[in-house]
Amino acid sequence: MSTPTQDPVRTLSLREVGPAERGTRADEVVIALSPAFGDPFTKTIVDVPHAEVIRQLLAGIEERGGSARVIKVYKTADLAAIAHFGAKISGSGIAVGVLSRGTTVLHQRDLARLSNLELFPQAPLLDAEVFRMIGANAAQYAQGQSPRPVPTRNDQMARPRWQAKAALLHLKEFECIDHSRNAVEVEPVITRVD
Amino acid sequence: MTAVAPRSASSVQASKRTEVLENRPVNLDGFVEEWPEKGLVAMESDFDPQPSVRVEDGRIVELDGRTRDEFDFMDTYIADHAIDIEACESAMATPSVDIARMLVDPRATRAEVVALGRGLTPAKILDVVKLMNVVEIMMAMQKVRSRRTPANQAHSTSAKDNPIQVAADAAEAAVRGFAELETTLGVVRYAPLVAIGLQVGGQVGRGGVLTQCALEEATELDLGMRGITAYAETISIYGTESVFVDGDDTPWSKAFLASAYASRGIKMRFTSGTGSEVQMGNAEGRSMLFLEIRCILMAKGAGVQGLQNGSISCIGVPGAVPGGIRAVAAENLVASWMDLECASGNDQSFSHSAMRRTSRLVPQLFSGTDFVCSGYSGVPNKDNMFAGSNLDTEDYDDWNTIQRDMQIDGGLRHVREDVILQVRNKAARALQAVFAELDLPAITDEEVEAATYADSSDDYPDRDVLADLDGAKSVMDRGVTGLDLVKILERTGFGDVAESYLQVLRQRVSGDLLQTAAIFTPDFVPLAAINDANDYAGPGTGYRLSGERWEELKKLRHVTSAENPEEEVS
Repeated sequence: MSTPTQDPVRTLSLREVGPAERGTRADEVVIALSPAFGDPFTKTIVDVPHAEVIRQLLAGIEERGGSARVIKVYKTADLAAIAHFGAKISGSGIAVGVLSRGTTVLHQRDLARLSNLELFPQAPLLDAEVFRMIGANAAQYAQGQSPRPVPTRNDQMARPRWQAKAALLHLKEFECIDHSRNAVEVEPVITRVD
Repeated sequence: MTAVAPRSASSVQASKRTEVLENRPVNLDGFVEEWPEKGLVAMESDFDPQPSVRVEDGRIVELDGRTRDEFDFMDTYIADHAIDIEACESAMATPSVDIARMLVDPRATRAEVVALGRGLTPAKILDVVKLMNVVEIMMAMQKVRSRRTPANQAHSTSAKDNPIQVAADAAEAAVRGFAELETTLGVVRYAPLVAIGLQVGGQVGRGGVLTQCALEEATELDLGMRGITAYAETISIYGTESVFVDGDDTPWSKAFLASAYASRGIKMRFTSGTGSEVQMGNAEGRSMLFLEIRCILMAKGAGVQGLQNGSISCIGVPGAVPGGIRAVAAENLVASWMDLECASGNDQSFSHSAMRRTSRLVPQLFSGTDFVCSGYSGVPNKDNMFAGSNLDTEDYDDWNTIQRDMQIDGGLRHVREDVILQVRNKAARALQAVFAELDLPAITDEEVEAATYADSSDDYPDRDVLADLDGAKSVMDRGVTGLDLVKILERTGFGDVAESYLQVLRQRVSGDLLQTAAIFTPDFVPLAAINDANDYAGPGTGYRLSGERWEELKKLRHVTSAENPEEEVS
């Protein structure tokens, strides 16, 4: 699977702007990224560029009138923990957690860590369109609404194609954990390369 | 700050042949390199421990290079409950190559190799099977599997959790020969109705079929104790302490659950498989097969009669590394060698390639196991709520043909269309009667008709799901039991179905199904390792396909008559 050639190539830089702190905007969504997101990994398990993941999440949030902050977490590669941390510092209590391979969860501050608003466990089925819908739902949750959950997809042949690569990416992401490094707020810089 | 661009595709122009190869289904499968330090390796790793054992005062104080103070709870459990202390020092002193040759050599009896196996540590067992190639693994399997007669298990599920579909497909699977039927759910709250559909449909197809419903453990046990299901299998165990603890479990809690089933005379087995630990990121640097051997010994130590293994839901992991499917065949072998019933996988979507699907199946199908598949999808894979199996309903005729080609018994048979339609229709009608008597949302005649001729859940009228879920809850709230269902079937004109169901329930009292690898014949004669012991001792011995059963397997959908070549026989 690859990006259609007519799509422009975009690169992602995550420019560190300071420690990840509690937000004040009541409608903000925190996008919490895993340790290997953007660096050293550049794309999801199905080659969706990380630049595209961020671009679509932000677009989805924006088109529903929300605002977003992006943070990067280094101390854990556990998606539930990443997303729950993001939710706790989110002004609205809503966060989107994303692993490098694409696995995504919508979380809320008041939920138990292993619970969630919406979970997208099958990373190979998450494309640009789904990330945009996730962003749109996140913004609506942040504004106190109850959006219709993003339709879940299922593919019984995802296992033979992706299971081992997912395990490998999981192990690699674990290697990028830095227990001594606190989460930081980052400014995503998406550059179009022509 | 980082700036990164996705890798661009190769700019080299591909040949037409490469294009053909690129489009072959096998290239949709995923393959990865080994990473032994992290346990992403099938069975040959420098990071696995060397075999060792030391016994002091009748207690194992050293196991595979660790002293007792260094044991994790798996080591402790295996040392205290799985290994025969009396036998271990002499068994461990036997060279691995001698043990491997005994496993293959028909002159060494099953009893001898099983007795030797009781004294071995996980690392020693691994050391033995590492010496064996896949043909030797199959040779050993046909000798050490516990039951003489091979059997098979089917999945009967529905993408819409439609109980009528599950009942009709269960009946068809039963008449095709499956000895066990398993279901699970998309919406868990549907479980009581779907489990009833499975049980009723299974008993319609033929006598002696056992059913289970894979669920969260407490509900699964509850359905078993009520007699709505007949056995249990989804009791998962893991090869490292960290993964076990992640699931809020220990070997002792799993053993306790096993004893809860035993206390009611309910058949059960554990489930494990290569790849689960590395999939969860906690393989502790051990190979997949080493960790699976720890699971097998833990199951043995817990006293359960059997194990479902063969990677199971993690098959994509061993399937992607070199030698991975050899390791999967080896884990089935070790389970059988440790004298456990082995339900040998082949139960999850494994490959896009029909050739790879078949070759993955060969070791279990050709040597025979207690359940070649655990299970085979008795519904189209899109209706398979276990996320798809290695085989599904589309493969029935291929399976029957392979049995006939190789003169092997994979537990199935070709069944004439009129018989299949008859059992599907009767299963749907029996369930219709049960639903009516229990005041559950009615099953219409239109649904019965659909069930008779359906392939997938798309072919059935939609149910009122919310009404069904209320009905499912009321089944649990009212405390409906298997005996209630037997009585209903008896008084609504399904006396033969009631009789079969009652026979299944009566076995809890006799305990015959607690014997290793127990199944029923269609006449409710138990076949288990004690009365149908595998007596393979080389050519001309053991289970041979002959007589009436072989005549049955010669039949296919289309066979030209020798007497009148203008006609087909079936």
